[in-house]
Order: sequence, then structure tokens, then C-alpha cells
Amino acid sequence: MNDARPAALQSAVHAQALTKRYGDVLAVDNLELEIPAGQFFGLLGPNGSGKTTTIHMLSTLIRPTAGSAAVAGYDIRTQPIAVRASIGLVFQDSALDRTLSVAENLRFAGLLHNLTPALIEQRSGELLELFGLNDKKHRPVGSLSGGMRRALDIVRGVIHHPRILFLDEPTIGLDLPNRRKIWRFIERLRTNTGMTVLLTTHYLEEADACDQVAFIYSGRIVERGTPRALVDELGRHIIEIEASDPSSLIESLKPRLGPALKEGDLAMFRYALEDLGPIAALQTELGPRVNALRIRRPNLNDVFLWVNSSQAQK
Amino acid sequence: MMVRPIYAVLEREVIKMFRQRTRLVSAMVRPLIWLFVIGAGFGTVLARASGVDYQQFLAPGVLGMTALFGAMLAALTLVYDKESGVMRMLIIAPFAHYWIIIAKTLSAALAGMVQALLLLVILAVLGYLDWKMSFALLALGIVMAALSCAGIGILVAAFTRTLDNFAAIMNFVIFPVFFLSGALYPIANLPALLKLAAMVNPFTYAVDLLKHAMLAPLTQSGTSELSVAVDFIVTAGFTVLAVIVASWRFSREQGYEPLIHILTGKRG
Repeated sequence: MNDARPAALQSAVHAQALTKRYGDVLAVDNLELEIPAGQFFGLLGPNGSGKTTTIHMLSTLIRPTAGSAAVAGYDIRTQPIAVRASIGLVFQDSALDRTLSVAENLRFAGLLHNLTPALIEQRSGELLELFGLNDKKHRPVGSLSGGMRRALDIVRGVIHHPRILFLDEPTIGLDLPNRRKIWRFIERLRTNTGMTVLLTTHYLEEADACDQVAFIYSGRIVERGTPRALVDELGRHIIEIEASDPSSLIESLKPRLGPALKEGDLAMFRYALEDLGPIAALQTELGPRVNALRIRRPNLNDVFLWVNSSQAQK
Repeated sequence: MMVRPIYAVLEREVIKMFRQRTRLVSAMVRPLIWLFVIGAGFGTVLARASGVDYQQFLAPGVLGMTALFGAMLAALTLVYDKESGVMRMLIIAPFAHYWIIIAKTLSAALAGMVQALLLLVILAVLGYLDWKMSFALLALGIVMAALSCAGIGILVAAFTRTLDNFAAIMNFVIFPVFFLSGALYPIANLPALLKLAAMVNPFTYAVDLLKHAMLAPLTQSGTSELSVAVDFIVTAGFTVLAVIVASWRFSREQGYEPLIHILTGKRG
């Protein structure tokens, strides 16, 4: 492959005004994305916000309507094969052949990437070890548990040692212990290989480990930064108040606490100061109008909720 | 560059073929029933034509049928791969997507050839093979039959979205291809419309090639109705054309993106 790739690769993914339109629907709208090589990047957003469409454009499986992107330094429009040779892609749904064994699936994937059988054998051994699947090598994939299959699908996606790995909701549909396991595997993989990882998820506690996250809403990136900075930006505390009539409560507290989010009978306010003194008497003050009052630290979930609500109002 | 990826597709096909034993057994039983039940039965009412009895006449036809079913069903796994999601592994691999069609056509042809060879072995063991036949032509006939039947299969597979309509494919593709060929009867005496259908059916030419190999040495006049050259050119030409059309359809499907939506359920 003769490449027009710059010698020192600075950005793994560089998208400019990337756009995908399906009829009247703008699935991805002028998306700007810059992911430095080696970074762990989280693309976060509600279902239908354009995460998967973005990943499919970056991995050359669908063509953008407008805009451009370079992945591993290659143009996704004019050098799709070079792009695909540089990336690994783990889809939301399994790509494995359930009737073949673990080893046969990896051999199939490896040969498709033009690896020698000896190299496939060696890497399968290493990766299955890393993912705790060593003793399952000759089991048919159909007999593995959901968590093991997901782990194997990731092994399948990195057997050719891609420089960039796209993980589209890698833990969707898994229970908590299995989600944790998958996260440990990805962490180990990153430590061992230093590959760039672009991940989409809506389990936001998982995105805490990302170097950088971007929130996507209706095909546009509406917020980006390090998880820490985004959380800090939100405030020092989140005040959650459970009330039978949260709407009127929100109205009455608005002058003091600012706007709130309402979820069922729960109202959530942001609080910017570390010192809770000014609102210490809030519960007694509100009296019987309030069923419960909690004060806690904000997290990425809160960022997600606030970003979505401010977008939904537009 | 493409040797290993194509080999990967072929190897998967062979592994799956021998793992699905019942399918392999039925692929052997089907032609034997035709040969020993239909062949023997009709043999009692039909006169010998051109110096061979009906059972002998039928042998190239059922050999072709084995290649037809073997290659067609293997080519249709392209649809199964779309449905089961294994196609994801193929479309993300670093080669142009028409290679998927080429590799699948070759692997389907391989499945057809292997099954035809297995049937030949069974016929030889049963003593039903006449060793006077031309082995070079037989090899060519099996290869061309398998390739052209894989071509028919890949064409159908490229235009088919789900295997739900498999019965329709059986009824409207596989059976007509078999019946409207020279496999069961000479095409010369067919009514004009059926004859026309047989003449545009590539399988007719594949069977004719097998007749050249298996029957010509046994008779003076032969039972083939076309020349070896015509048979070869038509089967080879059809296979190439089928691969081109199927590739066009497959990459168009990529361009218009329904395939990726089938594979991802159009989410996110």
C-alpha cells in the first residue's frame, strides 16, 4: 500500500464538516472531530443522535453526504481500503459466526486481514489470554455466554493490531459484572498496545476513564472536553429534591438556585459553590412540600442530562 | 494480496459443509434417488436413445444436479451472512467489496465440485461408472457446471434480502433451472417455448458438457446437442457476467446503504 500519510501522525481521526443526510433527516450535521493519536475518546449521546452513523462513515461503510474526514491519515472517501486496514471495528451486534469455534472465527478474521496463519495463531493466543478466553479456544461461539462473545468480538476486531479501534456500544445489553470485565479488557488492551480508541456508549460512568469526551445531539457535537472539566463546569454540587409538585417548587426556587431539571417527581438543581452554608436551611424552609432532599457531587450523567435538556429546548 | 482472504472464505465453506452432515448426506441421496428410482422407473418405458439406456442418459444430469444444488445453496449463504451479521467481518476487511462476491462465487463453486466428486466416488463404488469416459472433459464439465451454478446462486443471493423466501427460490429458481435443461431429456424434441427456456439456461450447457465427457465415448452419435466449445464459452461467459452483475448490485447496496442498515438495525 503506497500511502500519502504524513510521517508523524498527529491525529488519528480528523473530521471536517462531516455530514450525512437520509432524505429529510440530518443524521450527522457538520460534525467536527479531532482525536489525537493514542487517545481514549468517548462519543456520547442519546439513541439516534448520530453516533453509529459517524462511526460507519469514519470506517468507510457508508459514504458521507458532505464534508471530509481523515482516519489514520487516510481520506475516507478516496482511500477506503487503507482506512479499513488501519482500523478495527466492533459493531453493536456480533460479527462472529456462531457455528464456528473461537479459534476458527479468529482465523477467518485474521486471514481476511491478510495475516499469516502462524501470526494469527500467535496473536489469538496472546489476545485470548488477555481477555480470559484461553480455555474456550475450541468451543463453538454459539455456546459462549453473551459477555464472552462480546469479549471475543473485540479480540476479533483487534487481531490485525489496528492503530485505531472503534467500539460502538461495546457493553450494550450486558449485565454489570460483564460490563466491568469488558472495561478491564479494553483498559489492558490500551495499556499493551497504545492504540487510539473511539468509543460510543450511553453508560456514562464508563466514559469517566476517557481522555476526552464529546456529546453529540441530533448529529451535532454540542459539548466537548475532559470528563473532569465538564463535570466541574456543571457546578460543585447537585441538589436533588423529591416533591409531589416539582414544577411549582422549581418555579419558586428558580431565583435562588437557577434552572432545574425535572424527572418525574424529582427536581435537580446545580450548585456552583463548595460552601453549602447558604442553603443549609433549605429543607426546613421548604417543609412539607418536600419528600426528600439530597446533595451530591455531579458526574458525567448529570452533564449528559443537562446537555440534552438544553438541546431539547432549542 | 487477495489469496489469503479468498482462502479464508473457501476454508469456512468447506468446514461448514462437512460439519452439516445431514445436508451433505441429503445432497448425496437426492441424485441417487433420481438415478435409481426415476432412472430405473422411466427406463422401463423409454426406448434406448443413441445406444444408451435412460439410466445412463440420466447420469450426467444428476451429476450436474449435485453441482447445481451444492453450488446454489452455498452461494445463498451470502444471504445468511447478511442476516447473521458475519458479513460485517467481510465488509470491514481491507479490500474492495466486489472481492466478497468473487470469493463467495469461488467457494460456492468449490462446494458444488466437492459434492459432485463425492457422488462420482459413490457411483464408482456402486459400479455405475463407465471407465471409458473422458476424464479431462469430465473435470472441465464439473468445474464449469459448479462455476455456472455458483453464478446463478450468487446472482440470486445478491438480489435477495432474507432467506425467508427460500422456498420461493427453490420453486422459482433451482427447480426450473434443473427441469428446463437437458438433464432429464434431450432438448431437441421439446416444444418451442420450453426449448427456448432451455437454450437460455446456462445449466443446459453445463450438462451438455458432462454428456460429452460421460456419454460420447459410449455411443457413436453421442447424446450431446452442442459443441464442447459452445458449452465452455457459454458457461464461462455466464459466470463472469453473473459475478459482474452481482458485484454491481452488492456495491450498489453498499452505496445506498440498506445493507449496513440490515447489519446494524439502523440505530444511533
